[in-house]
Amino acid sequence: MAHITLQILLSGIMLGTLYAIIAIGLSAVFGIMGIINLAHGDLMIGASYISFVTLGLMGGNAFISLVIVVPVLALIGFALQHFLLNRVMNKKGAEPVLLTTFGLSVIIENGLLLVFSPNTQTLARSLALRGIPLGPSFSIPLIYVIDFFVGLAVIVGFAVFLKKTYLGLAIRAASDDETAATLQGVNCRLVYSYTMGVSMITAAIAGVLVGTTFTFFPYTGTDYLTLAFGVIVIGGLGNLAGTLAAGIILGLAQLTGSYLLGTGNQLLAAYLVLLIVLAIKPQGIFSRA
Amino acid sequence: MQAAAGNEGSPRKVYPVKYVVFLFVLLVFLTMPAWAPRYTVFIFLLFFLYLAVSEMWNLLAGYSGLVSLGQQVFVGLGGYTVAVLSVYYGINIWISVVLGGLMAVAIALIISIPLFRMKGAYFAIATLIVGESCKIFFGNWQYVRQGQGIMITASYHMSTTLEYYIALVIGAGSVALMYLILRSGFGLGLMAIRDNDVSAETLGVEIFRFKLSCFLISAFVTGIAGGMFYIYQVYIQPASAFAIDWIVVMLFVVIIGGIGTIEGPVIGSIIYVLLQQYLSQYNGLDLLILGAVAIVVILVAPAGIWGTLQEKYGFEILTARRR
Repeated sequence: MAHITLQILLSGIMLGTLYAIIAIGLSAVFGIMGIINLAHGDLMIGASYISFVTLGLMGGNAFISLVIVVPVLALIGFALQHFLLNRVMNKKGAEPVLLTTFGLSVIIENGLLLVFSPNTQTLARSLALRGIPLGPSFSIPLIYVIDFFVGLAVIVGFAVFLKKTYLGLAIRAASDDETAATLQGVNCRLVYSYTMGVSMITAAIAGVLVGTTFTFFPYTGTDYLTLAFGVIVIGGLGNLAGTLAAGIILGLAQLTGSYLLGTGNQLLAAYLVLLIVLAIKPQGIFSRA
Repeated sequence: MQAAAGNEGSPRKVYPVKYVVFLFVLLVFLTMPAWAPRYTVFIFLLFFLYLAVSEMWNLLAGYSGLVSLGQQVFVGLGGYTVAVLSVYYGINIWISVVLGGLMAVAIALIISIPLFRMKGAYFAIATLIVGESCKIFFGNWQYVRQGQGIMITASYHMSTTLEYYIALVIGAGSVALMYLILRSGFGLGLMAIRDNDVSAETLGVEIFRFKLSCFLISAFVTGIAGGMFYIYQVYIQPASAFAIDWIVVMLFVVIIGGIGTIEGPVIGSIIYVLLQQYLSQYNGLDLLILGAVAIVVILVAPAGIWGTLQEKYGFEILTARRR
């Protein structure tokens, strides 16, 4: 029993960190621009597919493909915000942006479906199967450990980026008060485009990690989107440590659910936890609001 | 009396014109099975069902400000109630449809307790999660044969004409319902909430009760439409009943047609059904094009086709404005 608990605990923490990376791009965009990017999950899976194609063309392992995937996605994110979303943000109300990103999500999913088959794919089989033995009767998949450390690096890196770089400062200024930031010489719309680009960088890394850890197919994006929302909602917006904690909570909830309710229902457990938190404290357990 | 464009000087002469057109269209629909090919009847059957669910989504999003990304829950509940009641217990299928609507209302009431604590974006996310949860739950539930789905045996020998007329009642009924709601004091309150809910509340509009009522009404109609849809389909499974595709349909119908207008979803539904039929051989392309068109429409004409017509030319058939 203790072994199983320990395994669930460790796996949950590592899985949760993966969820945190997925969520962090979404959280940044939501917190800074007030945009809910419903296409975030699909863009992330798009990154997985781009990595898949790159591996097919060039060989090598999934992490090498990051060299291609990250810039491509950063560019896509920038272009998306600059040419499309900035324009839609001018329309009154929150619906147009929400619906535009939903439309994008549909386009991406179906586009992926057309180009690639509905079959599931995976990026690096050997890595996923290798395990690190941690005790007499169980081991942690190596990929989970990699997820964990990369996840931590991304989150810490993002925090440092926001605090120390000029662009990070500009982003925080633009999110606090658009007019005041403009008066200080910050081109807010351009900053938003950069933010989306950075968000997509995290999505790219997340996509490669997800593709290596699990299988994916064109519609996987929605599942991860929902989980990412869960992380944001529980962790609170703009709270990086909270996002990490929330990811871990959801990861633990999912694995505990898998153990107690069966693997078919594991996501359900995570969703239930999420709904409960949403009902009790919608701003998030860790939010400062 | 609202004068149609170009006839300002003689309001009394104008009165018959738009209603005659309206009656003519109604007659066309009523007699369709008699003169149209079976395929056309099929198309309009779908049209009326999509119209019903879209009008309800419009009621929520366009008039109450509740963007729901989980309406498919009610579709699925309606469909499954019909399947379970008629197949497992042999209850008459039409009663099952109504019961399906009531089941949807019951569930709506239950989930409204947590859901209505959230606003705007969080509400949308929560509805999305409820939708996905239902899909998983029904996919793993032994009672409804999990992912295998249920064949609705009672509809094997049902005539298409009968199904068409029921769908017509549901679709036209939903439009009539919208019209009645919006012309009433309830509708006025709704539009007040949509425009500025704080002011509306200070004027005595009970926001919670109004929003809840809309939510329940939309659940009922969507549930009935769902039940009818799966009678037509004969086969129901969780992956389709609780699919996010339903929201895609409602969204695009309402956006392309015109959010916040009663006639908008009519146009949107026709476009969607025709597009779906025309592109059915390219799996997934229809949704892709619809997505692209919707984005273009949001950029260019955010009020949708009908909304833009309404704004530019003052052209209204079913006006929600009071005279």
